[in-house]
Amino acid sequence: MNFNEAAVFKWVLIFAAAGASVYLLALVAGELVGAIWAFLLALVGCAYGIRWTRDWWRRLKRPGD
Amino acid sequence: MESASVPLPHGAGGHAAADAHHHGPPEAHQSSRIDKQTLGIFLFIVSEVMLFGSFFASYFFLRVVVNPVAWPAKPFELPVTIALMNTCILISSSFTIHYALEAIRKGNKQGMKLGLVVTWLLGLTFLFVQINEYVHLGFSARTESFGTIFYSLTGLHGAHVFIGLTLLTAATIRAFRGHYGKEPEKHMGVEIPGIYWHFVDIMWIVVFLTVYVL
Repeated sequence: MNFNEAAVFKWVLIFAAAGASVYLLALVAGELVGAIWAFLLALVGCAYGIRWTRDWWRRLKRPGD
Repeated sequence: MESASVPLPHGAGGHAAADAHHHGPPEAHQSSRIDKQTLGIFLFIVSEVMLFGSFFASYFFLRVVVNPVAWPAKPFELPVTIALMNTCILISSSFTIHYALEAIRKGNKQGMKLGLVVTWLLGLTFLFVQINEYVHLGFSARTESFGTIFYSLTGLHGAHVFIGLTLLTAATIRAFRGHYGKEPEKHMGVEIPGIYWHFVDIMWIVVFLTVYVL
């Protein structure tokens, strides 16, 4: 459960890969398909973000801090 | 978030071993689990994500709900290839700032300086290409709602790149003055701008896909 530069760089790679997949899909199958795929990826990202934030905040607020 | 904790006398409970190393209450207004600089940049990035979120909300409202006849507004076209090249430039700059940080973590100060300088140059190139694109687009922020939201969203991102370049300028100057060291607490001045720069890069990927591709 880290928030440092290396951890954020990992997300640059993830976003770049996701972005490339959306771009290629939009080129091949059309803008609407690309938009739907981007929306699905955004939903997955939001779910992950909510889980990560909740866990991180719970750890941060543990007694004794 | 902090709590005062008073060391217990030895044998007074199950915490005697831990209390042997504990001297008084923890430092006020500071977490023992995350340093304040990292927490600060994290909260700042969260606020900036919300700001971008509001601009994206406007974009999608205009495009989906208002649903004008043509998007982009005719007869204008967006230079997707140039924007794609700019995206590659910015993603490369994330690699170079990561290289700079990996270098200083291993004590390689020359590598850190090289990484910072190259990142700064790539960021500046991105801004110049963006400004050149604005000059040659053929429409302004007053050209229908499309022009307004295009310039708003890309301009907001450009402003963030400018802020990032300012941070990198300070970090680069300090790097050349020998202010940074191998230990994590001795190169926070590179780590924090690095985190911010990655955020700017990630945000551009989202802006590029939303505005230029979809």
